[in-house]
Amino acid sequence: MFEKSLGDLIKGIRAHKRDEAEYIARCMEEIKTELRTTNPKLKSQAVLKLTYLYMLGYDVSWAAFQFVECMSLPKFSHKRIGYLAASLTFDESTDVILLTTNLLKKELNSPNPFECCLALNTLANIVTEDLARDVVADVLRLTDHSDPTVRKRATLSLFRIFLEFPDALRPSFAAIQERMKEENPSVACAAVNVVCELARKNPKNYLGLAPVFYRILTSSANNWMLIKVMKLVGVLCPLEPRLSKKLVKPVSNIMNNTSAKSLLYESIVTVSNGMMEHEQIVQLALSKLGEFLSAKDQNLRYLALVAIGNFQRTSLALVAPFRSAILSCLDDPDRTIRLRALDIVTGMISQDNLVDIIQLIVNHIRTTDGAFRNTLVEKVVQACCQGTYVHVTDFAWYISVLADLAVVPNNVHGVLIRDELINVAVRVKGVRNVAVATSLRLLGDERLYRAQTEQANACQVLHAAAFICGEFGTAEDIESVTIRSARSHQTSQLLHGNSALLRLQMLRVRKRRELLGEIGKYSVRIVGSWRCIGIA
Amino acid sequence: MIKGVLVFNNTGKPRLTAFYEHLPIAEQQRVIRETFSVVSKRPNSLCNFVEDPSIWGDDCKIIYRHYATLYFVVFADDSESELAVLDLIQVFVESLDRCFENVCELDLIFHYEKAMYVLDEIIMGGMVLETNQQKIAQSLQAQGKIDGDRILSRARV
Repeated sequence: MFEKSLGDLIKGIRAHKRDEAEYIARCMEEIKTELRTTNPKLKSQAVLKLTYLYMLGYDVSWAAFQFVECMSLPKFSHKRIGYLAASLTFDESTDVILLTTNLLKKELNSPNPFECCLALNTLANIVTEDLARDVVADVLRLTDHSDPTVRKRATLSLFRIFLEFPDALRPSFAAIQERMKEENPSVACAAVNVVCELARKNPKNYLGLAPVFYRILTSSANNWMLIKVMKLVGVLCPLEPRLSKKLVKPVSNIMNNTSAKSLLYESIVTVSNGMMEHEQIVQLALSKLGEFLSAKDQNLRYLALVAIGNFQRTSLALVAPFRSAILSCLDDPDRTIRLRALDIVTGMISQDNLVDIIQLIVNHIRTTDGAFRNTLVEKVVQACCQGTYVHVTDFAWYISVLADLAVVPNNVHGVLIRDELINVAVRVKGVRNVAVATSLRLLGDERLYRAQTEQANACQVLHAAAFICGEFGTAEDIESVTIRSARSHQTSQLLHGNSALLRLQMLRVRKRRELLGEIGKYSVRIVGSWRCIGIA
Repeated sequence: MIKGVLVFNNTGKPRLTAFYEHLPIAEQQRVIRETFSVVSKRPNSLCNFVEDPSIWGDDCKIIYRHYATLYFVVFADDSESELAVLDLIQVFVESLDRCFENVCELDLIFHYEKAMYVLDEIIMGGMVLETNQQKIAQSLQAQGKIDGDRILSRARV
């Protein structure tokens, strides 16, 4: 029988572009047969083909047991494929993971360091609570192995083990601390990595390690380690003010001397997260931030905006000097940068500058492209209604803004604007006449009648306009609209349908008022008659 | 932690996928499709970062690099540094280049499991394992020798 290798399978798939699914189904059947073989080479090739199909999106969980069988093959190049398949496809629900326990223990205790590494790698990907409990002792022993590639893997895999089996942490912690002091940079890095990840989850428990982090920040030359520790410091400092005081000097040193932009950036972020009480370092961080913001490199400009967002959370005044640079970012060709700039700009809003900032954004809406335009519309409304309109002082102005937003082309926020118009008109008595005037204008606006697809539902605003006119308008207002809509929109069936709907809505609203009025009069008469006959 | 690594080509076909935070298959394919959709629209002059919580939740930075016909994408959470991850992608591609002379998409297509073994030297279980080019190549070379693997044993140290 001619069995296909992985290469043959791939070539076959490329040759069957039009009937790929059928071809793959046939191959799956072949693989099912091949998996029953005792020939290790064929078996491992079949498993390898399945991992490839998994990448393409095909379910291979039915073969989990065969993957375990493959993991137990004697030859390294064959069992390695089983381990790869397990790493990629096993998850919490894979029950055969239990079967791998003894297999893994055997590999972890193998004299061959490559086999240890293989087991550690797969373990890090598939470990469950039971598996963790069974192997943690073996893994701990490996953290002291003579071969550094084994030591670093064993140390790093401990993190995933602790995640599943937290009880293992306390007895193992000493071993991790030992590894942090190692000469070999890869192993030390792995240990620092584990500690930093653990500390992010439970920062208070790791304040005791502060001296170790101080030592690393002042003496290490390894950028990866420095970055990890720097990020952690940003998490720890808010919990312990004395710590931030002690670390001001080393962090400033790093900011002034490092040539690695990554480390510099993380230092700036750390200052914004945990060292805001120290004037000098804040100023240093802000000046470095300014350099990032004016860099030609898009990546640095984006990251500068992220950091500014951080500083803004503590103090609006600090980011004021960057205002014009941020505003120009609203025009950037890069959507990622525009979104960040928008976030910062809306974060700057207060009662004094609401009108100016909203005007700025509305101007951008006119000049920008489709999808971003909708984001801007939504942001404007959100910014105005936040804190139940805490920043809005002039609701007549807000209604005019809503009216402007309603007619933005391809607007998907028709429902949002509709609800806002009604909300304001109902709640704010003083602007009802403005609301009515605006609604009359909107009812006469052609653009709204045309916008009634899924993607552009600005016609929803017409319902709000009709409601407002009906509820708060005078009879003449309603009459003028009905005539206007009847006269100008007779040509299109669609428009007819819409204007009929609006008339009906307005009439309904008016009728309801009249009806309520009638009921009121009627109930007065009834109560009156009850009084006559002595009931009420 | 690193949630996942994807490599796909200019038409969105996956060439290498590693999900360190497990997702069901349908979700994996959705992430691949949606990421491709976002990233392929971005010209190379824009920054290498994308923020889109609808793809893989809120705590997920999407960092990518475009080399010729391939996109290399890394999904990381807040504990990773964006610029450091960009460097890491570079390290990965360099390591591939040391194994496959002038690595190209065809190499990844026909030897995807070798590319996975290279990635396994750099990222393990979602954590960064090694960033030193020399050490990665040495380890691959040694593995290649005991494995009888022609490609990995050729890794340029």
